[in-house]
Amino acid sequence: MSKLGAVVEAVEKHGSFVLEQVKRARSDEKFAQAVTERWNKVKAEIPIAKAPTGLPLPRLALPEIDEPGEIARYLFGDGLPGEFPYLNGAYREMYLEPLREIETGSYGNRKSPNGDSHNGAGRVSRAKIPERPARPPLQEEPTRLFSGLMLAEDTNKRFHFLSAHQRSKRLSTAFDGPTLYGIDSDADGVFGKIGEGGVAVDTVEDVVRLYDGFELGAPNFSASMTISGPAPIIMAMYIAAAKRRFGAKVVPNLRGTIQADIFKEVQAQNETIFPTEASLRFLCDMIEWTTANMPRWYPVSISGYHIGEAGSTPVQQAAYTLSNGFAYAEMLSARGVPIDQFAPRLSFFLDCGLDVEYIALARVSRKIWAIGMRDVFGANARGQMFKLHTQTSGRSLIAAEFKNNLTRTAAELMLAYMNATNSCHSNSADEPFTTPSEEWIRLAAHGQAILLEESGIFKHTMNMLSGSPGMKAVERAVEKAILDEFREIESLGGVLAAVENRYQRSQIQNAAHRYEQQIYDGTRPIVGLNRYRNGADEMPEIELVRTPRAKQNLQVERLKKFKKKNAEKSKGALDKLGAVVERGKNCFPALLEAVEVCSLGQITGRLQEIVGRFRPMV
Amino acid sequence: MALPIRILTAVPICDGHDSAINTINLEFIRHGIEVVYLGFHRYVSDIVRAAIQEDVAAIGISSYNGGHIDFFADVVSQLKKKGANDIAVFGGGGGTITHDDARQMKHKGVDEIFFAGTSLTEMAEYVKKHYGKKKKRRMKSKPDLVLARKLTELEEAAGKKAKHRTPNSEHRTSKVIGFTGPGGAGKTTLIDELVLRFLQRDRKTRIAVLSHDPSVIGEGALLGDRATMINSQDDRVFMRSMATRGQAGGLSPATESCLALLAHSGFDYVIIETVGTGQEALPFRNKLVDQTVLVMNPDYGARLQLQKIVMLDVADIVVVNKTDLERAKAALSEIQQRLTQNKRKQEIVATVAKRHRDPGVDELFELITKENT
Ligand code: B12
Repeated sequence: MSKLGAVVEAVEKHGSFVLEQVKRARSDEKFAQAVTERWNKVKAEIPIAKAPTGLPLPRLALPEIDEPGEIARYLFGDGLPGEFPYLNGAYREMYLEPLREIETGSYGNRKSPNGDSHNGAGRVSRAKIPERPARPPLQEEPTRLFSGLMLAEDTNKRFHFLSAHQRSKRLSTAFDGPTLYGIDSDADGVFGKIGEGGVAVDTVEDVVRLYDGFELGAPNFSASMTISGPAPIIMAMYIAAAKRRFGAKVVPNLRGTIQADIFKEVQAQNETIFPTEASLRFLCDMIEWTTANMPRWYPVSISGYHIGEAGSTPVQQAAYTLSNGFAYAEMLSARGVPIDQFAPRLSFFLDCGLDVEYIALARVSRKIWAIGMRDVFGANARGQMFKLHTQTSGRSLIAAEFKNNLTRTAAELMLAYMNATNSCHSNSADEPFTTPSEEWIRLAAHGQAILLEESGIFKHTMNMLSGSPGMKAVERAVEKAILDEFREIESLGGVLAAVENRYQRSQIQNAAHRYEQQIYDGTRPIVGLNRYRNGADEMPEIELVRTPRAKQNLQVERLKKFKKKNAEKSKGALDKLGAVVERGKNCFPALLEAVEVCSLGQITGRLQEIVGRFRPMV
Repeated sequence: MALPIRILTAVPICDGHDSAINTINLEFIRHGIEVVYLGFHRYVSDIVRAAIQEDVAAIGISSYNGGHIDFFADVVSQLKKKGANDIAVFGGGGGTITHDDARQMKHKGVDEIFFAGTSLTEMAEYVKKHYGKKKKRRMKSKPDLVLARKLTELEEAAGKKAKHRTPNSEHRTSKVIGFTGPGGAGKTTLIDELVLRFLQRDRKTRIAVLSHDPSVIGEGALLGDRATMINSQDDRVFMRSMATRGQAGGLSPATESCLALLAHSGFDYVIIETVGTGQEALPFRNKLVDQTVLVMNPDYGARLQLQKIVMLDVADIVVVNKTDLERAKAALSEIQQRLTQNKRKQEIVATVAKRHRDPGVDELFELITKENT
């Protein structure tokens, strides 16, 4: 049996623990006093900033309570931002603009919101810091836009275009179909797919071109790569490319994320290329190696986005994502990787659509993760924190009267920030048609800037919209429903067994079918489609991003040249890799060598000969 | 009762966007259509081969990752090349297929493209209206085309309860192996792993696979086995998916005649897979097959259940699959004991079919091929 059952118990136990604290605060005078003292102190330490209009506002808004029981409920049940169980946020501070005017002392110690400002106990620092910080804290913009198109140099240009005005360069890479399936561009039958929907990558040389001009080891640079089936191979190429440009010393400084999450591939995104168990093994090989050698890298992004986009309900999305995360923790622990080595390097990726659950979905997910990691897996504070990337829902964006998509995305961004996401991708309004053109991706990026920088909604008070009675009601309902899903998965023998029995897939498919039916029977109103339709059905004039044949040919030529140049060496490297895999050893070091002289498809092919191909589930 | 419309659906190579097609499949079935689903990430050649063998009226393709103009056109032209120009091609891809693209695609022989915002009922109605009648085919001498169409005729005859002369089982030229067992035991995976071994052992071996999925008279069916059979997507494998069309017991009314035809069609082996069966099932009667394989899952429940499984008395080979499960050891010895009661020669094999190069499957393969030589 899996540990999911233990997580359910831990969350329930935490619930009763909170109730006990509430009772105690109401009956035990000494405890009540301590709780109240802490509360008053926290409140007193919150800096006040002035809005441009002169209105003074606290940087952190706390509920107006003074009854010890209610205070205990908040402190233990929700936690301050950056405090267990992290309902209000993984970090102490986010989104805030640098302090303009400070009226009182300072709240907590200030460091980068993604930095390590946490002591193990997860308590607010008691030390008062009366003086102003000399410099405003280095904050990273949460904006991270997913992009990839045509060949490496074209995507490189898009990266420079998107990050030109950012203090921190946070790139996010989309790969084309052949790359996602570990197939070379010169393989039979894939020519037309080269460079479509993402960038074509066959070799380490493509990766060098892809990030040209960026300082891969710089503290303000991070790269995210959306690839899972062949993730260990692409990760090895990234490291090899970085070494080619900056030497071996750059490796420990590399920052970024690779998606790599296999469970959600089998459940929803359909890009698994090796049998599930073998895929999981290669994934764990990579996690083990990178967490030991690249302490700033996130080697897996446990993703609900694809589950949600495949049509699941929000609760299914959160439940499957969290349970997948716990399953990884269980697998890595069973392998003997120390919990404190890998737990802080797990990160998450959720969808944010317009369904009401999204008002609190990420908040509840953070809480369940924290409790499970602390109480079942014994992780330290950093390993309890649910580090979240959010993407607004692509599926909610539709072709009919597509400019309405700007409004949909804006509303979703609002929900995402209300849930204190740590980074965010906003979809472009031309999402239903094409890889976004510059015109629309620019507006998508600006949507985030308008919300965070222009509007006063988040920059003066980081949690301006949290904790309303409605949000609390959603939290309770969602938490209960997620735990029910956990119980169901546990009764099927845990995540892996449920996956192999198609449980999650069939649940998602049924939800998707219902969703589409609801659109066409009108129970799900969609403006411009089943309501307020203007009748003009022709598609709008949209600039399509499609890869010209000449570029596709160029990619094939480059690959052929690479293969020819390395024909001799690649054989040896593949044999060596094969031998390591057969022996059951960690294959990542052999992959690092292989990518120097082998293409993606060559490596995939050899691995498939040994472990087999993925047998699709439908 | 008119026979259900049969179509094939698939998603192109390097594309895993299957949410739309899954929904559409469910909708088609609700409208009484039989859907052979080939799955996502599929080559043109696999789609065309499957459409011909399954003798469908049309192919529905759902494409999202670009390159659709070429991909659809390629399907049309390969169909033509194989003499199957009567099989229609239609599809969709939300907003990624523009009106302009659709015009080009139609020009290249695609029937219809469904844009974002089309209601599910509208698509099902379209299929019913346009693909209800099979088009005449100029047969030429392409063996797969001829065989596929003959199988359809046998199914039609069985549907009308007409007597159809079936070749005598005495004069079979292929060895016929029957696979049965409860749902979820892994029959399809096991068969596909055996197919891989057949193909690898001898470059000339040709295999036919007849697989069954349940359906109710007058309703549609989702025939999805093909999608998971990665090794069977090969020109040396002829695969046909049949819906039971209301018949109980794990086979279809036309199974017997179709099997008889296949066993005379030059295949070395004909493999037949029943739908998931219950404890009392005895699907292979009247010497329908030469060898029976019962595939079981170690999780059959209490030992007592074994007494009720009638197939355990008659199966030539009992495969206990999924022996990586905890209960496998106990299951194996319980089943072994149950077989000893029968006092006849029955083999028992433990497999983990989902594992590549599983030694248990090798052993089963040896057992099956041994008797033939
Ligand atoms: C859902 C989705 C996903 C999900 C897919 C989940 C799944 N299992 O299906 C996830 C998140 C996993 C995903 C991933 C990717 N996606 Co995506 N995805 C979408 C999205 C948001 C919706 C598509 C959808 O399913 N809609 C619901 C269906 C039911 O409605 P519809 O599309 O309007 O279709 C209607 C009709 O056309 C018709 N129809 C459709 N097919 C068929 C077939 C037949 C036979 C018939 C009769 C009718 C029919 O039925 C529908 C009802 O009317 C679109 C953007 C969008 N908003 O459309 C991008 C989109 C398709 N994705 C895109 C891309 C690039 C990708 C990735 C390659 C990204 C990457 N580089 O990693 C990956 C690849 C995934 C893979 N394995 O191939 C691009 C494609 C760009 C292009 N072609 O130029 C799009 C357009 C987004 C964008 N603008 O970038 N995606």
